[in-house]
Amino acid sequence: MPIETPEDPVDAGGDIRGPDAVDQPLAPAPRPPRPAPRKKRSPARKPAASAQAVSEPEVVEPEVVEPEVVEPEPEVVEPVVVEPVVVEPVVGEPEPEPEVVVPEVVEPEPEVVEPEVSAPEVSAPEVIAASDAPTAVLVPDVEIVETAPDPDPVIAPEPASEDVAVDAIAVDAGSSVLSGVGADADAPAVRLRGVAKSFGETRAVDAIDLSIPAGTFYGIVGPNGAGKTTTLSMIAGLLRPDRGTIEVAGVDLAGDPARAKRMMGILPDRLRTFDRLTGRQLLHYYGVLRGLAPAVVESRAADLARAFDLSAALGRTVADYSAGMTKKVMLAGAMIHSPRVLVLDEPFEAVDPVSSAIILDILKAYVAHGGTVVLSSHGMDLVERVCEGVAVVVAGQVLAEGSVDEVRGELTLEQRFIELAGGLSDVEGLEWLHTFSG
Amino acid sequence: MAAHVLRLRFDLLIGSLRGDSRHVARAAAVLIALVAGLAAVVWGLVRLDDALDEVALTVTIVGGAAVTIGFFVTPLIGGPDDPLDPRRFAVFAPSPARLAGSVLLASVISVPVLALVVAGIALAMLWSAHGVEAPVTVVSVVLGILTCVLFAKVSAALAARLLRHRRSRELTGLFLVALLVVVVPVVVFLASLQWRGRVPTQLAEAVDILALTPFGAAWAIPWRSLEGGAGGPVLVAVVTVLALAGIWWLVVRWLLTTTERPLSSRAQRGLGWFAVTPGTPAGAVAARSLIYWLRDPRYIVNFIIVPVSAILTMVPLVVVGVPLPIAALLPAPIMALFFGWLAHNDLAYDSTALWMHIASAMRGAADRLGRLVPVTLIAVPLLAIAIPVTVGLHGRWALLPAMVGICASLFLCGLGLSSLSSVLAPYPASRPGDGPFQQPQRTGGALSQAGVLGGALALSAPVLWWGWIALTGDDEAAWTAFWGGLAIGAAVLAIGILLGGWFFERRGGRLMEFAESA
Repeated sequence: MPIETPEDPVDAGGDIRGPDAVDQPLAPAPRPPRPAPRKKRSPARKPAASAQAVSEPEVVEPEVVEPEVVEPEPEVVEPVVVEPVVVEPVVGEPEPEPEVVVPEVVEPEPEVVEPEVSAPEVSAPEVIAASDAPTAVLVPDVEIVETAPDPDPVIAPEPASEDVAVDAIAVDAGSSVLSGVGADADAPAVRLRGVAKSFGETRAVDAIDLSIPAGTFYGIVGPNGAGKTTTLSMIAGLLRPDRGTIEVAGVDLAGDPARAKRMMGILPDRLRTFDRLTGRQLLHYYGVLRGLAPAVVESRAADLARAFDLSAALGRTVADYSAGMTKKVMLAGAMIHSPRVLVLDEPFEAVDPVSSAIILDILKAYVAHGGTVVLSSHGMDLVERVCEGVAVVVAGQVLAEGSVDEVRGELTLEQRFIELAGGLSDVEGLEWLHTFSG
Repeated sequence: MAAHVLRLRFDLLIGSLRGDSRHVARAAAVLIALVAGLAAVVWGLVRLDDALDEVALTVTIVGGAAVTIGFFVTPLIGGPDDPLDPRRFAVFAPSPARLAGSVLLASVISVPVLALVVAGIALAMLWSAHGVEAPVTVVSVVLGILTCVLFAKVSAALAARLLRHRRSRELTGLFLVALLVVVVPVVVFLASLQWRGRVPTQLAEAVDILALTPFGAAWAIPWRSLEGGAGGPVLVAVVTVLALAGIWWLVVRWLLTTTERPLSSRAQRGLGWFAVTPGTPAGAVAARSLIYWLRDPRYIVNFIIVPVSAILTMVPLVVVGVPLPIAALLPAPIMALFFGWLAHNDLAYDSTALWMHIASAMRGAADRLGRLVPVTLIAVPLLAIAIPVTVGLHGRWALLPAMVGICASLFLCGLGLSSLSSVLAPYPASRPGDGPFQQPQRTGGALSQAGVLGGALALSAPVLWWGWIALTGDDEAAWTAFWGGLAIGAAVLAIGILLGGWFFERRGGRLMEFAESA
């Protein structure tokens, strides 16, 4: 797992201390038995984690917890790490054996913002300690990726999604290194920190911070030209941000693009596709480019075509498809390698209501099984209906973010959106339009 | 057993003339054409009676070898399933040896082999007229026919097993192109010979070699028996027949002891080129590029213009008085250079569809390699035609290796540099769906255009120098140019693909920005 180069030496330091620092205090920690034991956290993981966190194949399991003690100088932080461990509330470990949890030594700025992400989603005990002085301050930040009490019935029934991530975050005033970057299985599906992108003079995206929890339906809404597509393109790895970092399931997109991209399925808006191919060839192309064996692509393409009602059209060239059908075949292609995160730019534009409903069903089932959908849309009622989290992006900045209920408050999402986007100004100067000429 | 199979074979032969009237008419037309062709061949052989021994025997060897190769290649290229496929007899539990013999015997009762027998008899008469002893002619004709039949059976059985899953129009086209690559230079070579009533020395040398290959050995026995030294051809012919018989027996045994893998019903249907190329990212890119190169006018224009303009470069040279043999040497290298250069802005032709390659995190080298496949598939046959024609017009066949080396070096260096330039310095090209001549306003582009052309020329400079030495008289330098050109070209191509792939993986974001702005 190649992480960004600057962090590599740091990680090594963390590994050395990892076992004692973590195991020792963890053993006595209270460990309420979970109803749904998860095989994924097999004991085999632990030695691997303590031996070499770097080589762990987290691609397979999103929920894998990894010790990530990242800091520049071991001796400086040494006392710091010992302390947070004591406070660490470990929630939801099914297995009796001591589990390695993620103690992260982090600088304050991005993490402190975290709690305001969504109140209902973070329902576990949460302690935010404000840092003072050179002594280490611990922020045991309990992030619940998906909470069992979550009102949404879609995710609740899925045991695998009841995943409680325990992030012990120590804020070290003395250390200037931002840590906690790395393959953290319980990390949010997508996390943006200070991401900015300019095209010439235009600031398309201006220092966006976003944290999209795994296993959710997340909507990004905004007026035309707000930077939604640019943001999604950067998440997809199609554009490189000028500043800031993007992580996909804990994998730094700039540091290990191949791994991060493998976890994502992309549906861009307004980008071409190879439309001289037939639908069948295009799906085949999607799959084989992703490294799937042709036989697998074959059966998956047939399944997807059936699900998206494209079977009859597979023999025609995509150039002859309607806009909605093109969207459907591209969505099918985005899913063919069973990605962990789907990044969909305007997935329902030009798609007829019946197909929309089918696609929604497919996506909901995907989310229910632990997948994450990040979509942008103009359709406020759709976002209100299906999304758990939402971010309102206006002029390249996140004006509101959190659960749908949180963001809309007393209003409907549409009213709130219009309010955030600057409200409706009275249209003037079009009086000539009201005097009909003929 | 043999009697049963033979009767089956007869019934099949007669059965092919039954059916609805259209089918019968077609079968009859084919039969008549075949008979007419056969009559022409026999008449030609009879006319060779009074030709010089040497000429007559040379012609028969070349013709016999060509027919043998035809028997070998035709089942590979296509054709109906073999009705006497040994596997169909598996349920009767025959012994492999007996079945192999029976099927082989029955295969003689087929229209092409019967035609071959007739031609063989005419051949035997011709040889007798030139003083070959009767037993030798009989042995030669029998060995020749056996070789043909065995070649056909073995290649049909292998093609049915190995190519069945990939059989498609595209694959047949590919085989035809490959055939073209081989046949055209041979035809050009033969056409450029000066007969003047005796065998040209080049052909005599070629026949000497041919007489010792499995294809020509059987037909060379009579001639060699006249001159003495028939041992070589006899040995090769007998070993060929025995080896083929052994292979045939092994194939039959293999077919009887294995079962057919069921062809999945929807397998590969409708995938076109994707079913032909390997199922890897590079193969997929190759298939996709092929579809675009063959269907998209933006690409088609390119590879029509290159040969035409290369030939036109001769005109001014000839007009100003450069002798034709020298001017004729230019078109092939110019074609090679420009074919290698064609791919120098390949990425831009994808426009924003490039996102699929970037989002899939594919290996950059796979992208680079796949994109070079179509231009290679188109350029190699055209060069295979252009090079012998060029050398033929020039007149000195000793220059052929040098010409091949120069063209290989220019072409491969161009491909390697194109792999780099299309990643490093793409410039706006006409968009998908636009006309090929509808060029966008462009800034830049000169760098990569000139860079690839100049770079390919510069890297090929040593080969060009060796070629020049060869032209001025040193035949050894021709081979130096050949090997040097291949080595330089291969090295530059490999470096270009790997380095270009490395850049491709790292410049994804910038390439997308370019694609969206273009």
